[in-house]
Amino acid sequence: MNEPVIQIEGLHKTFRDFWLRPVAEAVRGIDLTVERGDVFGLLGPNGSGKSTTIKMLLGLLAATAGTIRLFGLSPRSRAARARIGYLPELSYLHPFLTARETICYYAGISSLGRREAKERTEELLSRVGLSGVADRAVGGFSKGMARRVALAAALVSRPELLILDEPTSGLDPIGTREVKDLIGALAKDGVTVLMTSHLLGDTEDVCTKIAILSRGRVAACGRTTDLLTRTQDARFTIEGLSEEEAKALADELSTRYGKPVAFDHPSVPLEKFFAEAVGAAHD
Amino acid sequence: MRRFGVLVRSAALEALAEPLSAILFLVALLAVHLLPSFHFHQFGEAGRLPRECGFSALLVFGLVFATSAAVHAVGRELESGTAAMTLSRSVPRPLFFCAKVAGVFAALALFGLAVSCATLLSVASSEMGRLVTNGGVCVWGPGIAAGTGFTLLALAFAAIANWARRARFCVSACLLLAVAQPIALLSIAWLSKVPFEWGVVPAMGVLAVGCAVFVAMAGACAVRLKPAAVAAVLSVAVALSFLKPVRAVLPDIHRFWLVDAFTGGGAASAGDMLSAVAAGVLLIALWLVAGSALLMRREIS
Repeated sequence: MNEPVIQIEGLHKTFRDFWLRPVAEAVRGIDLTVERGDVFGLLGPNGSGKSTTIKMLLGLLAATAGTIRLFGLSPRSRAARARIGYLPELSYLHPFLTARETICYYAGISSLGRREAKERTEELLSRVGLSGVADRAVGGFSKGMARRVALAAALVSRPELLILDEPTSGLDPIGTREVKDLIGALAKDGVTVLMTSHLLGDTEDVCTKIAILSRGRVAACGRTTDLLTRTQDARFTIEGLSEEEAKALADELSTRYGKPVAFDHPSVPLEKFFAEAVGAAHD
Repeated sequence: MRRFGVLVRSAALEALAEPLSAILFLVALLAVHLLPSFHFHQFGEAGRLPRECGFSALLVFGLVFATSAAVHAVGRELESGTAAMTLSRSVPRPLFFCAKVAGVFAALALFGLAVSCATLLSVASSEMGRLVTNGGVCVWGPGIAAGTGFTLLALAFAAIANWARRARFCVSACLLLAVAQPIALLSIAWLSKVPFEWGVVPAMGVLAVGCAVFVAMAGACAVRLKPAAVAAVLSVAVALSFLKPVRAVLPDIHRFWLVDAFTGGGAASAGDMLSAVAAGVLLIALWLVAGSALLMRREIS
């Protein structure tokens, strides 16, 4: 039961042309382990191999070398894929289906019974805030609305592993906050999340572990706090301290420890400020 | 089975949701219905021209409609990423491919049913007409009025459904156009005792099976080729099936074209129909296996 949800060892992927000549080496020996309950962020610049790795995890691309195990099974096994939910980088949806039909479609191919599919669809429509437009064709949706439909489709089968490729792409700040809260809630329920994002702030907010890919290799990997915390430095927050008092305290500490001491004033994250301002305007 | 059903339904809907589908349904049905009014020659037999027109409409428009739908259902889904969304779940690739093709078969069957009913009515209108000077025919009014009237009424209802309930216009139009044809036929049968040539329906079904072989072939080719390349391959295949069929992989279209059996009041023999259907089913199975095997090996990026 303690086996990793995802185990990747020595993974390579080389794309070849029609004549089987190598065109690009997208992944060059990746080793990764994702444990149950992790919210794992896969980061890296464009072309670093993130999406290729995800597609190999989903069994859509075949690895040139190396092994991938999902729940201890091959990524092509139906038993493994039945436990996965996937949100691609772009929300690929059938434009002629409505939001309700789209979620029902994914419920149907995930082998949910008719009644369960219907109940789950209504629950998810409400959860992603699309109940009011459930009967509109998704072809006419904005990018953010289509993203919500795709996210609902990824969640419809109650997956144990959720693979999210740029989950907040196209969403406004409030939608982004909702998705991040949703990821946090899913992680609390024991769902393992593997996500990629170019928005480092979002990744830092939600991911418990991260791996940074560069040119198809793992450049850094570990717990987010371990990688980002500088244990050799210390920072204090003292409420209700004036500028003069802060300066005096900094001088005193500097004299005492013989090291330079800097101080600043904490600021509210823009995302929180935005949500409060929009909320106040709505009220 | 539920997964298969869901995929078949979505493929059939996708086929009917294309504007081209509604246009082909309408043009084919109007051509079949209106042909008797353009009878300037009789060829010694009143129903022959509309009957051949019905078979031709099924072959030509059916082939264009169904093969383009198959290319969309398989090729476009693979290109657009919707196939990746589906195949990332526990959907086996052969099931995905076969369900997509089966969905297009369902849409083709609907088209075949509509054209068959229209042909029955058109043949009856022609046979009930009266000879005029120069050997031409003055068509039987009620038949042509019912055919074209119900067809146009179906379009009007599709527009109303789109306006009032935001129903998908092209899907509604195709479904209502197909439903309108048997209604027109039954109305005429009820109003006047017209002798319909019912044997035409199974013969057109055999032709639809011939078209279905090309649908399966188009789907299999679309797994690896771009739409333009599939169109080129299919054009050659259709030409070959008329001229010099390679029977191991292509249908001999002459076996499926049974309209000549009806000349002079005859009918297609059950043996001919069964052997053609058996050959068609074998070829369909062959192309389904080929398409599934190609999809199993295809990388979906």
